[in-house]
Amino acid sequence: MATESLKYLNPDSETEVKTKVFPRPGQNTKGIINWLTTIDHKKIGIMYGMAALFFLILGGLEALLIRSQLWNHNMDVLTNREYNQMFTMHGTTMVFLVIMPLSAAFFNFIMPLQIGARDVAFPRMNTLSLWCFIAGGIVLNLSWFFTGGSPAIGWFGYAPLTDTRFAEVLGDMGPDFWIFSLQILGLASLLASFNFITTIINMRAPGMTMMRLPVFTWMTLIVSFLIILAFPAITIALVELMFDRTYGTNFYDFLEGGKPHLWQHLFWIFGHPEVYILILPAMGIVSEIIPVFSRKPLFGYGLIIFSGAIIGFMGFAVWSHHMFTTGMGIVATSAFSILTMLIAIPTGVKIFNWIGTMWGGRIRFETPMLFALGFITMFMVGGFTGIMHSSVPIDAQHQDSYFVVAHFHYVLIGGALFGLFAGFYFWLPKLTGKMLNEKLGKFVFTLMFIGFNLTFFPMHYLGMIGQPRRTHSYNEGHGFETWNQIATIGAFILGVGIVIGVYQFVTAAFNKKLKPAGKNPWDARTLEWTLSSPVKEYNFARTPIIKARDQAWENNYGPEENHSQKEPLDDHGVHMPDRSWYPLITGLGFLGLVLGMLFHQSVDVNTGEIIRNYTPAIAGGVVAILGIIMWAIEGPAGYHLFPKEDEE
Amino acid sequence: MKILFTKLQTKYFIIFPALILFFGGCSRIDHKQSALDPKGLVSQNQYDIFMLSVWITIFLFCAVGGCLLYVLWKYRAKTPEEAMEVPPQSHGNSKVEVSLIIASTVILVILAIPTLQGVVLMNRVPDPNDASTLEKLDLNRSAIDNAITVNVTGKRFFWVFEYPQYGIVTANELVFPTSRAVRINLRTEDVIHSFWLPKLAGKMDLMPGQENFLWFIADQDKIITRTDDNGNKIKTSIDEAMPSVFNGQMRERIFAKQKFTDEFEAVGGLFYGQCAEYCGNSHAYMSFRALAQTDEDFDSWVKKFQNAQNPNLQPSSYNPENEYNKGSLVSFPDKSLGDSDVREFRAVKTISKGQAPNLAKKEWVKANSDDYEKGKKLFSSLQCVQCHAINRTGLGSKGPNLTLFGIRTSLAAGWMRNDEENLVKWLKNSNDVKFGNLMWNGEGVDDTHPLRNLENEDEKVNQLVTYLLGLK
Repeated sequence: MATESLKYLNPDSETEVKTKVFPRPGQNTKGIINWLTTIDHKKIGIMYGMAALFFLILGGLEALLIRSQLWNHNMDVLTNREYNQMFTMHGTTMVFLVIMPLSAAFFNFIMPLQIGARDVAFPRMNTLSLWCFIAGGIVLNLSWFFTGGSPAIGWFGYAPLTDTRFAEVLGDMGPDFWIFSLQILGLASLLASFNFITTIINMRAPGMTMMRLPVFTWMTLIVSFLIILAFPAITIALVELMFDRTYGTNFYDFLEGGKPHLWQHLFWIFGHPEVYILILPAMGIVSEIIPVFSRKPLFGYGLIIFSGAIIGFMGFAVWSHHMFTTGMGIVATSAFSILTMLIAIPTGVKIFNWIGTMWGGRIRFETPMLFALGFITMFMVGGFTGIMHSSVPIDAQHQDSYFVVAHFHYVLIGGALFGLFAGFYFWLPKLTGKMLNEKLGKFVFTLMFIGFNLTFFPMHYLGMIGQPRRTHSYNEGHGFETWNQIATIGAFILGVGIVIGVYQFVTAAFNKKLKPAGKNPWDARTLEWTLSSPVKEYNFARTPIIKARDQAWENNYGPEENHSQKEPLDDHGVHMPDRSWYPLITGLGFLGLVLGMLFHQSVDVNTGEIIRNYTPAIAGGVVAILGIIMWAIEGPAGYHLFPKEDEE
Repeated sequence: MKILFTKLQTKYFIIFPALILFFGGCSRIDHKQSALDPKGLVSQNQYDIFMLSVWITIFLFCAVGGCLLYVLWKYRAKTPEEAMEVPPQSHGNSKVEVSLIIASTVILVILAIPTLQGVVLMNRVPDPNDASTLEKLDLNRSAIDNAITVNVTGKRFFWVFEYPQYGIVTANELVFPTSRAVRINLRTEDVIHSFWLPKLAGKMDLMPGQENFLWFIADQDKIITRTDDNGNKIKTSIDEAMPSVFNGQMRERIFAKQKFTDEFEAVGGLFYGQCAEYCGNSHAYMSFRALAQTDEDFDSWVKKFQNAQNPNLQPSSYNPENEYNKGSLVSFPDKSLGDSDVREFRAVKTISKGQAPNLAKKEWVKANSDDYEKGKKLFSSLQCVQCHAINRTGLGSKGPNLTLFGIRTSLAAGWMRNDEENLVKWLKNSNDVKFGNLMWNGEGVDDTHPLRNLENEDEKVNQLVTYLLGLK
């Protein structure tokens, strides 16, 4: 079945395809099949990004419903159960279906270009990761249509509220959808992370030493390690929860000797590194943008990398600060309090270094830079309130109040989302070959910055005067109304800003009015800017030989000995692996497995006994395994492209 | 266990309102559930550390943000040509970096010390034998020695308050004396809840299968000090700030003094609390009240509750073998209520042994109105009694204990004012008021349950209301 891959064919001629079952689409495949079977990291990155932007709009709509419900006391926009479902879905969507995949989109698209690689180490595994992510998003949102609607357990799913014993709708399936969706999303993240680690360690261009890696690539590496170390914890927690719910085990059921505390520890030992998984990519993006728009190299490159690694490492030692009010005792709370304060130091180092980078530069205020500066200021506010929470006595008042809501939105919107938007404005010209509309970009920034602060700054005050989180309503006479109304207005402004921004990104490739970008529109510094925009299918016609850290900049402004060279063209041309159906089939198999597990239980109408039918689940599993086997057998195959001497 | 920053407290009190004014244009911070208006030792400590952190971070924000603004202004590219210049490509300065790291560490140490002291204070009631600590905290030894204990049990969606020292149980309204420390043991019988009493104690979760602890002691001076509409502090009298609960004065005073919708509490001794951990559909409605009392009032309240919940003091049925003093309560049949129904009578004079109860002689008068007696009967016949305990401790019952309900200030776990109008609304359709509550939605309650069919039964509802509010 495997095709010979080492026959050197003429340019533009197709490989003979010998597979019978799912013939591999060849070199010139177009249209939908091209996208479904692609193994090109750039296309995968684009699909990751598009799907995540879709979920951003979806999660944003949920947020606006939440804000509408809180417009005034005792509102009836949503019932309390609907409200609880909204905040659960909003949280889960934004964390797992928006920020993480948006980061993954940039990892996919940018990282191989930054290290001088033609693709990631395992292109088909990369595709599988994409389909698993999309399957996870589908499973989570399918929950709306089945018994009990979507989960109403919070994105943190604290036991024992997730136990069937405490279900508020008979036969509530929401938490099951939530469990399986997170499992399959975890699979997606793990696959992608192993792939990125292997790629960064093995596939750097000659001369691209670790200390010459762009900061964004470094953050990709650190985040990938965080993911592979953090996700097993939640996987185990979710498996145990699934067993509790489906087979009546007692991991978290306190009436049978289980321990709800166990869930919190497992969840947060994943959940806190997750916070850094969300923020470090944005920090990487900002660390790329600020040097470009200041025309200076990053101040303290080594220290920024090191503090990123320290944050990642210490991120595993602070999880219990989410549990200060659960009664862990004096010693544990004190220890976690001190460790949490310590993690503020490497975070502060990054901010000092960004300011140091701008010091003495020539600062241009174009849209990516505005978003990056927005990131720094908003992240500072979020970081400072984070320092407050590290103190246990303060946390005794703040925990589960709107103060905390304000804090983490400052970190996740003002931080992560602003960083990611900066990344879009910065790298989309590389992706589409066209400059985005600068005026519209600045307008989006203004709307988002004002809307965001209007929404979340008053929440600090609301939390301090006693508004608790996750409450669908509040009573008259607490003084919450005015500031909630301001927050709601702000949320709609923020929403409009995000929608315009997303519209701008999605239409960037088709908009004929946009100016062409050229190779290096920002006079940027890293390797991807030496390539043509949009980037060719094979990325690098000739593998570059790296001589310096900011290679694109050095090529333009550096001394002769720092200019990069290129490996000579060889007669083989560029080997391109073939597209494959098997990642999609394997992904569908996993989807079938998950849906089969979700619906395997039914109740016999006559006897009232539970009937379990595993056939669909097993069938799905078999499809997934067969897909992997076939994919192993089919081999890389491929075709060769012969770029011209002067092509990038 | 020291509080380092007691001297700074007064400063914070002056500056912080000004700061809020600056940030939010709002001059008041003493909202009903505000953590910015501490009225006890523990919450004051939490507030002080919070304010310390606020000042530290404002300083940092100004320093770093100012630096950022300076850099952005000074090094902005003023012309397109300047934007294309190549500035010196410096890569870093390790001396600057190291000194900044050291500076941030020092700042964190400033926050860490009071934090660690605060952790100990929150978790441990000071040792009464440790005179120096008590002096630093400005505590009387007797406040610790005579501390009261309250076992709090969280249930979806209300609170049980048990006073083990006194053998009494109440719900949703925690009555406590200001002169003594209050130890709170926290338990739950279903999911996780969190006990949040912002003005007195901060919060602590109620974990299934585990007993958590927090404590507080109120500060009577702060309770009787209130802020008027112009932001001035005025001292009121103890009587005004802490009316007695046991004789219903607290309830009357609150109802008379202000509307339910007023944002600031006119009666200083009334505190608002809330469940702060998501616990299901009606989580938002799971609030409670805490009522501060002087020692005497607290003792009277305890006595009254003890009497009400003492099974030996309940009116027994008439026994001709007993002699009854003037004023004793006895129940015997009263045909006017219905066949074989009994009601309570009070002896007008001393009744000697061996007589049959004779209403004609005016020896007995009805202890309660007819509506009250009918309501009492309905309380059983409508199955309310299956979940609610009245005049007994009834630990473990599904619903809130309703003993002496007539002196409570709030209804439906602190959600509404406990007056006739609200109680009628609540009884007719509690799901409308508090969607998802377990009185309406609990196990075994369906559309055939009498409780769900009170919508058009004005008479029955009024009788129930008369009975419940008559429990005082």
